[in-house]
Amino acid sequence: MKKDDFVIITKKLNKIYGSQDTIVHALQNINISIIRGDYISIIGPSGSGKSTFMNMVGCLDQPTSGKLFIDNVDISKLNDNQLAKIRREKIGFIFQKYNLLPTLNAVENVALSMSFAGIGFYERINRSRELLDMVGLSHRLNHKPSELSGGEQQRVAIARAISNKPSIILADEPTGNVDSKSGSKILDILEDINKQGNTVIIVTHDHSVAKRAKWIIRINDGVVSAYADRQH
Amino acid sequence: MLIDNIKIAFKNIKERKSRVILTLLGIAIGIMAIVALMSIGEGMQQAVLGELSSLSDTIIVTTGDVSVNPMGGSFTKNNINNYFTERDIDDVYRINGIESIDPVTFSAGFVEYNGEIQTASILGLDADRIADFFGTEFLGLESGEFMSEGDQNRCVIGYNVAHEYFDIDINVGNKILINNKNFVVSGIYNEQGAGMSIPTDDYIHITPRDFKKITGEENITGILIRVSDSHLSNIDSIADEIEFFINENHGSDDFANVITMSSILESIQQVIGIIQIVLIGIAAIALVVAAIGIMNTMLTSVMERTHEIGIMKAIGARNSDVLIIFIIEGIIISIIGGSVGIAFGIVGSEGFSSFSSSGFMGSPIAISPVVTMSSVLISLFVAIIVGVISSLYPSWKAAKMSPIEAVRYE
Repeated sequence: MKKDDFVIITKKLNKIYGSQDTIVHALQNINISIIRGDYISIIGPSGSGKSTFMNMVGCLDQPTSGKLFIDNVDISKLNDNQLAKIRREKIGFIFQKYNLLPTLNAVENVALSMSFAGIGFYERINRSRELLDMVGLSHRLNHKPSELSGGEQQRVAIARAISNKPSIILADEPTGNVDSKSGSKILDILEDINKQGNTVIIVTHDHSVAKRAKWIIRINDGVVSAYADRQH
Repeated sequence: MLIDNIKIAFKNIKERKSRVILTLLGIAIGIMAIVALMSIGEGMQQAVLGELSSLSDTIIVTTGDVSVNPMGGSFTKNNINNYFTERDIDDVYRINGIESIDPVTFSAGFVEYNGEIQTASILGLDADRIADFFGTEFLGLESGEFMSEGDQNRCVIGYNVAHEYFDIDINVGNKILINNKNFVVSGIYNEQGAGMSIPTDDYIHITPRDFKKITGEENITGILIRVSDSHLSNIDSIADEIEFFINENHGSDDFANVITMSSILESIQQVIGIIQIVLIGIAAIALVVAAIGIMNTMLTSVMERTHEIGIMKAIGARNSDVLIIFIIEGIIISIIGGSVGIAFGIVGSEGFSSFSSSGFMGSPIAISPVVTMSSVLISLFVAIIVGVISSLYPSWKAAKMSPIEAVRYE
């Protein structure tokens, strides 16, 4: 396989919090390569380091040591603004608690990340509407987050995550705060996005969610303990 | 992009109306003070200029012993040993651009009315020049008329002389004794107060001939000179020439005091300038307090919205995007506050004008505040600067937040 086939490569990735007595080794020598277009779930108990790994890949945090390549760019050496650019262009984040801006309506929330990317006003608004239509929210365009159900808010968040056509969709417990019916709808959407060629990574502790992915990575105590395709 | 930032800032402001309104009030008060004080200062300037510019063609010459104080309003005779001579007058006439020359004689005298005796200042000045010289527009007569050429034993008396000096008010047509000589009161001046103009309240004006008759003096203590309109622009050099000739005649460097209205105007403007600076200094203190208020509000807002800042950063906002959003918020608060302050300031200074219309600090000059476009623009500009400066630190704090910590913050 060529280097370009991988969207994420980590080499001896370490993340250490605190110092001396209070030291926490959140990630230890993680070596993972993720192929472009894959659908992967990361599973592990709470405190296992899966969220730390997620934040690292999402460029919200930087490794203590080791290398992390996203689209062949080593993010461990980037400054604040370069990291922001990667987040803007390569990463689409979906959070457990949706994390929509409460003062903005659905269209504005989706358009916001595009505005950071410098996309023109009309294009932004049109694309926001298309994306909201795609996730089945064409009837909720002008609703604020407080006027939407949990499942609807999460679908707005998905629309926002894919608005800048990122290489990687990162979903942190995307179904954690919604009922099972909404949850499966959200997973359907994520699978559709994956089928369109996007890399989707879901962090979860729910096995039924994890099993829908092509690959499952299990993390325990900051170490990758198993790496399997879903048949296993 | 900018439009979006402005929209976001507006929405954030709308979320916490009452706190923003209080912050607004702070800056509004500061700006109100600036606008009101600037327009009152401007009004003061214009009132004084309007008052004195009618005298802009006049040069007053006194000997070193007599001082003229238009601000406090008096001719003061210290110890008269020096007088102007006919030769001085002739020399001054030869200077190019002189329209007219009026010698002034001045002395203290005894005035008797209704059995009471008081002292008053007696000013001898040609009858037809009195009205002319002092400018009737602002120095009108309360009653009666000015003397005319050839009149004898007639006088025009000041307001205080008529109404304050004696138990019984003096009216036009009454007879008074000046240094034991009979005079008929021809007119009474309006009350001048301690204003910024030539005073009349405590004076009695008579003709030079009568002056000589009652005081025995014909010594000239002052000369009033008017410059022709075509030479108005070089009034200062004419004044210098006059001073030079008279001093030369008397062989002394400081025999004559030559005062032009422009030099008086200059010093008055300096005083007004200092007053304005002090007033604006006071307003500046109000603005500093307002700036601290904005900073406080913004810091609280940054704290409250840590999580939102984290979200924006997670979806790709640069540090500068976050910075700009918060600075714009500060600017919006300060622009709204500034506009409210400007409106208040205009209304407030109008209120001041009606309050002071009866006379400002005892002056008959009614100061009506003048709101100029430039004072409005300067105030708005100051408001924006205050907004930027006071939101800089909170915005920087927001921009510098670690995205991971901010997004985790609940």
